[in-house]
Amino acid sequence: MIDQFTDVVPSFFGMLNQGPLTLTIFLHTVIVLPMFWIYASEKKKLNK
Amino acid sequence: MAKENLSVWTSIPFWRRSAAWVTGFASILLIWLTFDTMGQISMGTEADLAKGITKRVPAPTVINYHIDYKMSEKRGHEVPVIGKKQPFFGKEWSEKEAAALLHLGKLTSQAKNCMNCHTLLGNGAYYAPDLTKAWLDPAWQKSGAMQAMTGKNTVEEAMAEFLQHPSQYPTHARMMPNLDITAEEAKGLVAFLKHMSSIDTNGFPRNFSKTVDQFKNGGTNAH
Repeated sequence: MIDQFTDVVPSFFGMLNQGPLTLTIFLHTVIVLPMFWIYASEKKKLNK
Repeated sequence: MAKENLSVWTSIPFWRRSAAWVTGFASILLIWLTFDTMGQISMGTEADLAKGITKRVPAPTVINYHIDYKMSEKRGHEVPVIGKKQPFFGKEWSEKEAAALLHLGKLTSQAKNCMNCHTLLGNGAYYAPDLTKAWLDPAWQKSGAMQAMTGKNTVEEAMAEFLQHPSQYPTHARMMPNLDITAEEAKGLVAFLKHMSSIDTNGFPRNFSKTVDQFKNGGTNAH
């Protein structure tokens, strides 16, 4: 899935940007995953 | 305890925490991206050029080098290749001189409003040819039509001559008007164009070589 890095100046975002949407999908995943945890902890609090 | 029908979706703290997380993360990401971009677009130095280190934007002294444009199989588009030393207007420019010349060229390009008709690095109009890679245009090289028309022997002299008297040369269907560009300003503009052609623009403008081939086969526009 991770191809050889081809950009001129090495960069973390360049590495993730392998093709259309790869950077977008990664960033959305990173943002959305902790929201599951926020949801679960709020649910716990409400149940208490 | 009896199970109540509690919904997290209607809980205000849930939305507050989610909003704080998304806003906070996005802010950090944007700051990070800003620094990342600064690294990508900062100009290289003379030492980088001497050592052959590729920078997206080379030092102004790149005008002392031959610039080629070659297809990179790895990256899937053309990239500028900085070659051997080559005199620019018959001399080698020091770091200070090159920077001053480039600065003059940039100011002139703004004063004469090149972007009103041309495109520079994606900014401007498409009324006249895209100038991003104009320096590499074969029409300006040896045996190219533009160089032959001006009667000069080098790309820079031909371009400078044209820029000072554009209305004398029949070029485009839409001819360039005379903008009262002085000899010094023309030199600056040519340096500005040469430096711009050495910038790695990820293959922009697209299909440069393809349109160059069309031009060689009798097309009217090299860009």
